[in-house]
Amino acid sequence: MIEVHLYGDLRRYAGKTDPREEAIVWVPYRPGLTVADVLREIGIDPERQVSNIFINGHYDYHARSRLVQDGDRLGVFPRNMALLYC
Amino acid sequence: MAKLLRVNMTDLSVRFEDVPEKYALLGGRGLTSSIIYDEVPPLCHPLGPDNKLVIAPGIVSGTKAPTSGRTSFGGKSPLTGGIKESNAGGLSSQKIARLGIKAIIVEGQPKEKGRFYVLRVDKDGARLLPADHLKGKGMYEVCDLLWKEHGEGVAIIGIGPAGEMLMSAAGICVNDQENTAGRYAGRGGLGAVMGSKGLKAIVIDDRGGPGVEIKNPELFEQGIKKLTQASLTHDVTKKGGALNTYGTNVLVNIMNEAGGYPTRNFSSGRFELASQISGETKAEIIHKRNGEGMTGHPCHPGCIIQCSDRWANPDGTFKVSVMEYESVWALGANCGIGDLDKIADLIWLCNDIGVDTIEMGDTIAVAMEAGLLPFGDADGAIRLLNEEVRHGTPLGRILGNGCVFTGRAFGVTRVPAVKGQGMPAYEPRAVKGIGVTYATSTMGADHTAGYTIAPEILGVGGKADPFAVQKADLSRAFQATTAFIDSTGYCLFDAFCVLDIPEGFEGMVESCAGVLGVNWTTQDAIRLGYEIIRKERLFNEAAGFTRAHDRLPDFMTKEPLPPHNTVFDVPPEELDAVYDFSKWPKEVVGEVAG
Ligand code: SF4
Repeated sequence: MIEVHLYGDLRRYAGKTDPREEAIVWVPYRPGLTVADVLREIGIDPERQVSNIFINGHYDYHARSRLVQDGDRLGVFPRNMALLYC
Repeated sequence: MAKLLRVNMTDLSVRFEDVPEKYALLGGRGLTSSIIYDEVPPLCHPLGPDNKLVIAPGIVSGTKAPTSGRTSFGGKSPLTGGIKESNAGGLSSQKIARLGIKAIIVEGQPKEKGRFYVLRVDKDGARLLPADHLKGKGMYEVCDLLWKEHGEGVAIIGIGPAGEMLMSAAGICVNDQENTAGRYAGRGGLGAVMGSKGLKAIVIDDRGGPGVEIKNPELFEQGIKKLTQASLTHDVTKKGGALNTYGTNVLVNIMNEAGGYPTRNFSSGRFELASQISGETKAEIIHKRNGEGMTGHPCHPGCIIQCSDRWANPDGTFKVSVMEYESVWALGANCGIGDLDKIADLIWLCNDIGVDTIEMGDTIAVAMEAGLLPFGDADGAIRLLNEEVRHGTPLGRILGNGCVFTGRAFGVTRVPAVKGQGMPAYEPRAVKGIGVTYATSTMGADHTAGYTIAPEILGVGGKADPFAVQKADLSRAFQATTAFIDSTGYCLFDAFCVLDIPEGFEGMVESCAGVLGVNWTTQDAIRLGYEIIRKERLFNEAAGFTRAHDRLPDFMTKEPLPPHNTVFDVPPEELDAVYDFSKWPKEVVGEVAG
């Protein structure tokens, strides 16, 4: 499973609106899955809606094209929370 | 012609002086640090008569340049024993500048101990007034009383009881447009220096003042146009951008995701209650309570970024300003407290008593580590501040002198400090470059001294891997650039846009050059930054600092920090390279004499 933590207005993809709650979506792992694929499966456009992505707590501005590993944790921030740059 | 205002607290006299040639092109930190370097004996006692408190608006403060109302406060720090510059927003900078004053130098010490004074500065000059009626009072009441006495709208610079009691964690407070005591030059104990001078407050009434002379209006206008453009378009600083919407507290979720959000006295890099105290949650609660709270608040007129906020109680009445990243972290995650209303209470108390929120958060966390109270005990922390520190009980005096003093008193070895100053809200084991800044900065552990978080985590101003250890050049360059920005009067948050948008930095430099009537390139500006940090370094060396002081606490090199389980492993040579003048970029600074 891939554990995806969503922030800002991306929380709605986890069915959450209250920022006090963790907004986490679990995506089943498949070999060959990229971060961008994971986001698309959740319904998020990885190009237009996302600013910064952390993989297991590591900021990576090439994150979208990275292959995920089973058990990875992603942290995904929306465009309008961009303190971070891609 | 702008003047220096010299206030002698020994004989209670005030005097206006011409600005010496060598200070003509300086402002803010450049000016405060130069005056300290020239006039304060490095080995003097920080709370004795030979130390000075220097207060200076930035180069463009008082003009219409956006976001430029920062006031620099300088002196020898009672907390670190080295030079200190701490700056704040609020009303003071623009008003001092508009009275034609380049710096206020407070020196000497009253012969009569325990007497306090108010310095009033207006278009007719300056005078010292007795302040016996303000003695012992918290900053909220001081602000109220001084507006009643001196008229609404005046700027107030003041200290709470902690400064009067000469506590090393005491800060200097500046009021804002709502006359809230909330903007602090908090770091390094300059509140105690002000207290040691017998100065409770400074009132600045700029009505009828001459304003700031702009020598080259065309260049100035061109500069502020470019800078405004950069500020309004960059995603971090624009309206509706991250800082404006969520305040600096937007960083909670980001640093927590990065595993670099110090938790429970720097024992973890992730806080399980982070979402309870994040910028998103803060903004949501403020809007839901729909009362006197607000986000997107300017800390002084003319700020176009507006990262500040006003927090409301559950019933919608105003509680405290400002719930910013450092304060919320220090008194929240670092103490294991995950409740914004309790954190608001703690910030309110710090602002009233007049202590630095970062230092007090570090101190309370060390007290928790010592077993004085459990982690997460918000009511216990409130009691420590309100009953012990405020009243200067023996325990209160231990706490009020900061985390190193408290750690020593209670035998705690995990004390996150450099040069005696407690660390801010970025874990150096997860973000190595900020650790290099903490270790080497002339200020002690200080994130603003060289904010490498921007490229390391935020990808602003270039990109850098947070876990890589070759960070000397990065940290040094940021320390120099910061020293320049701290001299301009512009808020450091402008750095986000000027580091990314070259025209923004050009604009910043041109607006300064326009005021001063010089032709500066961006290179000249950065050279000035290097010159400032060189002077500060030389002061510290003369005050007894060696390379051994440019190190992080022992535990950080040994205890792996979850979740990444890394230690601080930047080699000593890398740290020493930051202030090895022979390694400074010759194309910028030429040959630098040590
Ligand atoms: S950006 Fe924030 S701290 Fe800076 S001047 Fe504006 S309100 Fe004050």
